[in-house]
Amino acid sequence: MDSNSELESRIGEVLKAEKDNSIPRMTKRDYIIAAVIIVISLIGIIGGFFL
Amino acid sequence: MSRKHDVNKEIENEVYCGTLPVLPKERKYGFIDALLVLSGYCIATWSYTQGSYLATLVGFKQLLIGAFLAAIFMLMVYQLPVIMSVRYGIDIWIWLRSVFGPRGNKIVTIIIIAVNFPWYAVCCELFADSMGNLLGLFGIQLFDGAHLILSLSCVIIGTVIALRGVGTITWTTRILVPLLLLVGVAVVIVGFTSVPMDVIWNYQPELAGDADKTVNYVLSIEANFAFVITLVGGMAEVPRLCKSERSGYYAGVLGQGAAGSFFVVVGAVMAIAMQYVTGKMVDDPTLMMATLSAPILGLSSLLLVAFANIGTQAVGSYIYGVMLKSTFKKSSYKVLVLVLGLYVGLLCVWGKITEYFGSFLTIGACVYAPLAALLFVDFFLIRKQKIDLKSAYEMPGHNAYQYSKGFNIVGIVCLALGFGFTLLVYDPIKGIIHNKILFMLTPTLASFIFTGVLYLLLSRIPGVRRYIRRDTYASPDKRPFDRAKVPPRQNLFFLPLMWLLCRITVSPYKLKIDKHNMEGIKPPFLVYGSHNSFMDFYVTPLALKPYRANYISELEGFENFGEWIYRQAGCLGTRKFINDQSLIRNIARVIKRGDIMVIYPEARYANVGTNSHLAPSIAKLAKMLKVPVVTLNMQGNYLQQPIWNLKERKGARLHADLKCVVTADEIDKLSVDEILSRISKELTYDEYKYQLENKIKIDDEWRAEGLHYPLYRCRKCGKDFAMTSSGSRITCKYCGDSYEMDEYGRLHSGSGETVHIPDWYEWQRGFVHEEIRSGAYRLDIPVRIWALPNAVNFVDCGEGRFIQDNSGFSLEFDNYRSEKHETLKFPAKSMISLHTEYDYRGKYGPCVTLSTYDDTFFIYPTEESREVFNPTKIQFATEYLGGLYS
Repeated sequence: MDSNSELESRIGEVLKAEKDNSIPRMTKRDYIIAAVIIVISLIGIIGGFFL
Repeated sequence: MSRKHDVNKEIENEVYCGTLPVLPKERKYGFIDALLVLSGYCIATWSYTQGSYLATLVGFKQLLIGAFLAAIFMLMVYQLPVIMSVRYGIDIWIWLRSVFGPRGNKIVTIIIIAVNFPWYAVCCELFADSMGNLLGLFGIQLFDGAHLILSLSCVIIGTVIALRGVGTITWTTRILVPLLLLVGVAVVIVGFTSVPMDVIWNYQPELAGDADKTVNYVLSIEANFAFVITLVGGMAEVPRLCKSERSGYYAGVLGQGAAGSFFVVVGAVMAIAMQYVTGKMVDDPTLMMATLSAPILGLSSLLLVAFANIGTQAVGSYIYGVMLKSTFKKSSYKVLVLVLGLYVGLLCVWGKITEYFGSFLTIGACVYAPLAALLFVDFFLIRKQKIDLKSAYEMPGHNAYQYSKGFNIVGIVCLALGFGFTLLVYDPIKGIIHNKILFMLTPTLASFIFTGVLYLLLSRIPGVRRYIRRDTYASPDKRPFDRAKVPPRQNLFFLPLMWLLCRITVSPYKLKIDKHNMEGIKPPFLVYGSHNSFMDFYVTPLALKPYRANYISELEGFENFGEWIYRQAGCLGTRKFINDQSLIRNIARVIKRGDIMVIYPEARYANVGTNSHLAPSIAKLAKMLKVPVVTLNMQGNYLQQPIWNLKERKGARLHADLKCVVTADEIDKLSVDEILSRISKELTYDEYKYQLENKIKIDDEWRAEGLHYPLYRCRKCGKDFAMTSSGSRITCKYCGDSYEMDEYGRLHSGSGETVHIPDWYEWQRGFVHEEIRSGAYRLDIPVRIWALPNAVNFVDCGEGRFIQDNSGFSLEFDNYRSEKHETLKFPAKSMISLHTEYDYRGKYGPCVTLSTYDDTFFIYPTEESREVFNPTKIQFATEYLGGLYS
């Protein structure tokens, strides 16, 4: 298999996997947790000004 | 096979495999694996330098907040796009090709390496410091220049290891990470046991007289932001090997934010302990252990730290050597590693990298912050988490990311402005704060926000959006345009600008406006205008001055110029030749609030400068609204820019007649037919007649080019699609019959015959009518279809089949909405005409459009059907079948 056909085949497989959700996605819950951590970190950083 | 050949082959294989998308079945890392690998990368002796630098700025409690919370805050935001790495199995450098273009990405790669590689000079400096300090403990004083020799020896040994290739590096890494962990553990134990805990907990730095505690705290936060953000380059390869997006994301966050930050704190503890014991703050773990415990422990740690620094330098040379090799495929890996070694060597010779550690961090962040912002905005808000992988890999025939010769000017300009913005906030070299308010955000965060907002705003400008979103087919916006949205009044602040623009645009053509029966006519009223070219939109506001107005515009204009601009200009969006009840409601709203409603009732540009038949519905609308009806007949607009050739003709002269044809008193008394008759009379025009009568000379040599689109049938041999045009001539490609277009718009044959262009045009119409009446008319051709669902983008629907017969239109294609192969039917009686283009936007060629409520389908010929696809003939047939000419 030459490099272009190897690449094309891999891209096809990756796109199929994306469509089939073969690689577990970040869920809404994950994003909410991330947002909460960001807010907590930000509050902590702002709190540091008062130390 | 020589050793040299082996290394090159190994590296080429590494580069090749290192850039290909990793398939789901090839993924190696769960969360723990990825966390360990990334933690290993983040733990290096420079963590101690960062820790001791932070200890010079803030107390221990603030230091803890900065090291953990600031790091995690920044990581949580800028690591989010790594989910793209996991999803597609690619690293961020592949995605960045869409942001900067493939060639632009090469330049960015060089910049990234230039700002990142000084980290390795820090390692070499630490190596030399460790050696010098320990030799000092044994009473051996180094001669002048020995420090440089030691640091350069670290560069040389590291480079040699990197040159030996993958195998040696793998072993180096396997030894390096445990060694660093071992050193870290030793430092923690010695640091925390050699001084009382409260000394560390209550530590406050001795600040110079003019130092500001708040500024120092911001600088410490900035140092942490910069510390984590500049490590992204080396960590980019890992997430693509993860088995889930969550594991890739959180491993990146915690690898740096927890493990990396822990060692930064360890470095700080060590520095604080050393200052407590010796009065001098140091960042050298070897010296600390020798001082705070026993020289033998220092000696042991020397070997560990020495190897760790050399190993880090070797791994860094290897990682960035491979990165460079994947960017510059023709260059030798060996040469690239030597160049990197030379760069670090020069930094060592300069010898001030540790002194300027904070500056170097911020300069690195000056580049990384806008880069991270571009990646974030591009991934989530512009490309909506979709990329055209084939274009990203520059596969033949996939050029969406080639932009301007391989450079995405927008991305590069944003990066440069983001970099400049950081410097406007803070000068990292001299430590001068230029803007204290923005500085409070930290230079990195301010630049991140500025660049992200700038890129997002630019992407909202239609021309820029089309430039950066050449891959819309990968993730099109499919939301239908909201036709029911209440149109705003024309923006009062926008209006003077609009008048100025209109005045400037018409000034070369000496526009003259005559008003008739307009005394006492004030808004609200209805304006019906002739429709010849885009110039109509510049003439109309000037004719209606000083009043503001609302205009009906096809959605395509919204897409072309941007919805915001169009709304400010007072436009109501619709699709052509559909029964749009929302539009009627909005027209009534405009009139009810006392404004002028402008409608171009022909709903299409004049093909040959003559009016189309008008439908009775326009008179019914006037009766329903019960307001005065004004006509605006514009002459010269067609001559200035006919639809079949969009080049502007400077010789054209413009004239407009604004006339009230039905007063408010008359509207109830007159019948629909009488109103229609008055409107039709005033909107009757013949541009060529106007040209001849007013001796308007248009002498452009190319004046007939494109005329074969509306005049497609040969007058002599009677063949359809026979005409071709060039310069000032139109010629039959079959029989050779030819006409010269004179400077006043008349056609002259060789035999002395003079032809009025609209006569030729209408002569053709008769043949189409006859063809339909005889049942012979049928068009069944392959076409290329693009759908326009909204004011944001077109959606490529691929090839389909376009059929027109006596029953109307059929469009057979893969409908992107239903994701099925479908046939849409457009009954003949549902359309009185059809929107046509001869060369859409001056570059896409001829097309016709068909609309549903949620989509406008732009239908272009394929190579196979190009010869028989003529918008004029299709329009003739549509108008006849729709009843306009029956």
